[in-house]
Amino acid sequence: MATIPGLRRTFRLPWRTRAQVAHDVDDELAFHLDMRAQELAGQGVPAEAARAQAWREFGDVEGARRALCAADARWERSTRRADRLDELRQDLRYAARQLRRSPGFTTVAALTLAVGIGATTAIFSAVDGVLLRPLPYADADRVVALWQSDVAEGVERADVSPGNFLDWRDRSRATDGVAAAVPFGFDLTGADGRPETLHAWLVTEGYFEVLGARPLLGRTFLPEEYAPQGQTAVVLLGYGLWQQRFGGDRNVVGRTLTLDRRPYVIVGVLPPDVRYPAERDLWAPTAFAEEDRRVRSGGYINVIARLQPGVTVREAAAELDAIATQLAREHPRTNEGVGVTVVPLREQVVSEVKPALLLLAGAVAFILAIACANVANLLLARGSRRRRELAVRGALGASRGRLVRQLLTESALLAALGCAGGLVLARWGIDVLLALAPVDVPAGQVGLDLRVLAFALAASAVTALLFGLAPALRFSRADVRGGLREGARGGSGDLAGRRLRAALVVGEIALAVVLLVGAGLLGRSLFSVLRVELGFRPENRLAMQVFVWDQYDQPPQRVAFFEEVSARLAALPGVRAAGAVSALPFLESRIDIESPFRIDGRGESTAGQEPRAYATVATPGYFPAIGMTLRRGRLFEARDDAEAPPVALINETLARRYFANEDPVGKRLVLSVTGRPSPREIVGVVADTRQTALEAEPRPELFVPHAQSGFGSMTIVVRTASDPRALVDAARREIWAVNKDLPIYATETLDGLLDASVAGRRSSVQLVGSLAVLALVLAALGIYGVVSFLTGERTHELAVRVALGARPRDILALTMRDGLALAVVGLATGGAVAAALTRLLRSQLYGVTATDPTTFAAAAVTLVAVALVASYLPARRAVRVEPTRALQAP
Amino acid sequence: MAREPLDLLQGTLDVLILKTLSWQPMHGYGVSRWIRQRTDDVLAVEDAALYQALHRLERRRWVEAEWGLSENNRRAKYYQLTAEGRKQFRAEAATWRRYAEAVFKVLETA
Repeated sequence: MATIPGLRRTFRLPWRTRAQVAHDVDDELAFHLDMRAQELAGQGVPAEAARAQAWREFGDVEGARRALCAADARWERSTRRADRLDELRQDLRYAARQLRRSPGFTTVAALTLAVGIGATTAIFSAVDGVLLRPLPYADADRVVALWQSDVAEGVERADVSPGNFLDWRDRSRATDGVAAAVPFGFDLTGADGRPETLHAWLVTEGYFEVLGARPLLGRTFLPEEYAPQGQTAVVLLGYGLWQQRFGGDRNVVGRTLTLDRRPYVIVGVLPPDVRYPAERDLWAPTAFAEEDRRVRSGGYINVIARLQPGVTVREAAAELDAIATQLAREHPRTNEGVGVTVVPLREQVVSEVKPALLLLAGAVAFILAIACANVANLLLARGSRRRRELAVRGALGASRGRLVRQLLTESALLAALGCAGGLVLARWGIDVLLALAPVDVPAGQVGLDLRVLAFALAASAVTALLFGLAPALRFSRADVRGGLREGARGGSGDLAGRRLRAALVVGEIALAVVLLVGAGLLGRSLFSVLRVELGFRPENRLAMQVFVWDQYDQPPQRVAFFEEVSARLAALPGVRAAGAVSALPFLESRIDIESPFRIDGRGESTAGQEPRAYATVATPGYFPAIGMTLRRGRLFEARDDAEAPPVALINETLARRYFANEDPVGKRLVLSVTGRPSPREIVGVVADTRQTALEAEPRPELFVPHAQSGFGSMTIVVRTASDPRALVDAARREIWAVNKDLPIYATETLDGLLDASVAGRRSSVQLVGSLAVLALVLAALGIYGVVSFLTGERTHELAVRVALGARPRDILALTMRDGLALAVVGLATGGAVAAALTRLLRSQLYGVTATDPTTFAAAAVTLVAVALVASYLPARRAVRVEPTRALQAP
Repeated sequence: MAREPLDLLQGTLDVLILKTLSWQPMHGYGVSRWIRQRTDDVLAVEDAALYQALHRLERRRWVEAEWGLSENNRRAKYYQLTAEGRKQFRAEAATWRRYAEAVFKVLETA
């Protein structure tokens, strides 16, 4: 009999498959039946009868067989599961013990992973909240934004003119509704009697149906409410206004607001994420009149459309293109070269943030990869110290798979620690991200939710595999005898391992170089942008926009109003100059008027080919108030009034483009907008100014005196001696002293406007810059680790060298060479990768090429410096080696 | 075999198997033959039920099985008591004895 008691419990016998179970049962039963038949045959029963009797005595053989097979197979499976779990528990216990035993390693590795996972998770939460989340609209993939394109100007997405909107709406068949939103300001008279401007969207019939949006409370507008002069005026509240002004009161529906001195009934409240085209206070119904169809030049409305079911964006675009071509034929003066751009709403909504977010996502992926490489390196260094242990386990019968599983369990445990730390960092990182983000994100849309948590866990699992697999595969390939023999010497002379570690560090350095170069290019772009010649002086300038059309319906009244306000403001203590302008640089609500013009004395141009310029209305005080420089001639003066001959100022770009070889001063222009279409004499040329963005090249501009125009939408500019914010109240009092009912639409400082215009660029630089620094630190850690390890391995050799008379300097050079060699290879690799990748950044660069040599050189110098420091520390330790001690050691 | 064999009471078979194996490890056929001889064929132990009981005891880890070679050199599955099985047998045997005594007392006094 070949049984040893408890054999199965001591050693794990292989698991049986279902077929093996059945085979065992068959064998057992056959044995029984044969033995019984033999026994009976021995008693003289004939063979046939003996078999039959054996079967009969047994009972239901087939039934027993089936029952045994089923029960045994079930048992086999459940024990296998239990054993697997048991093994996992063992591995986890063992891994935990291993990690506890080397707290230094565990802390560094877990922190490194926490940084990688935390950064990745924070960025993912933003990507998820902003880019991946479905739009809050019904069948949102059928909603598109429509824009006017202008071939001549290279503009793809310009605001739409009412005429084009109406014709697109009326002629399009591919769409199931086209609607428009027009920005508008309502004057709200509050409880304190002080007028205040609320920002609103006026929307045309069907807007919310086209968008597919439902209100949070109440209802949207009824068809009859869109009709002009409807019986009762109605509004919807935006979520933000509802929260701020009404404290989220659910009974707000049905209440009345006094807007523009007229009662408006609140019919509903919109949810926080219904905000296309943008977050505003109020939504009110509007309709375009038939005469609006004639307004085709100068767009100012946002248009959306819902595609018919089954119609693709491409088909809709083709149809609208055809309509645009018809319109160009019908209205050549305004519509020549004007097309339609169809943009899926999702793309429209995310297009602003997408490049920046993808840039960040790429950068954090690099960080995670560097963190993984670092931890893999730490594991490899540790593993070569653990070879003996693993060889022993292998010798005792642990299979390779089992060893890999055990090593991976250790990695997974490390990753879990990293994940826990990463989530803490991510929470903090998300706050930083939201604080830096220049785009407004609806409240609660970015944060640590379940999806983000799942992502962090998945990232950790992938991380564990990434950094754990290479070491696990390496060390489980246990050459048992070699491992045991070599174990005494701590596994030196392991060439393949050293190569793998060097490759990992080179990879890290390369990734760090790419990030450094990227951050450098963005930083230099920001620097170039900030050094752009503005053409005016932004510091100590206060701006307040007012719309006076309703208060003063005659141009002379408006002229008088701004003259008086300017005079009062200029007389304020602390004010150096005051004036007013229709289009203040960098103010979002500025009024841009683009107008064709003709130069007196030159022939008529063909329709659509006339020279065009942006026309701005300004008071004489505006130029000193904003600090604009005069290049030739003179500025506006008090004498340029309504009775005086019409005059104009032009900027350098216009002068260069249309008066290349002659002096424009004294020439005359004929404008088709603003004031009388009589010729205006050019009295001076002013410096070019940046108008909408620092990056946007100056465009041809001309100025008309306010006294000869009487324009009603003006921004008052005050130049102060010190901080302009201190003068806000005093300035408002002066304006209200002239007209106590006038709402002040926007109050800004020019510095603030400029800051806001570069906020996105600045936050990109800050975020990518911090990530690059992080990458640099991690790469330095990697270099430090490898050089320490190599130096430790060479202690013996270095001691011999010292004994033979090598000077400290020689030892230092010898050991630092390792670190430097890694840095140089990494630098070359990273430089090549960066040169290929920075091309993707091109759209975000300004004043610097994607392969800017200065930036690449600076990144290289930084990296080499860091590599020197990182390898100096372990090298210095090597120099202090005492030859006698080191040579005596085994 | 004049009289009808008695049907087994619930749980009896397990005790009988444990008792049988308490002598020495045995294959299923051995257990079957041993029980038949010891009870003089009074108890009707159907082999189908016996094997199911053996496997059930194995799953409860009261017995464990190893494949070995039989007396006539055939592959056979040998069962032996585990420590736990031995403990279980002692407990069940005691219960059985008390039960049988009680029944016996009742029958005697009647």
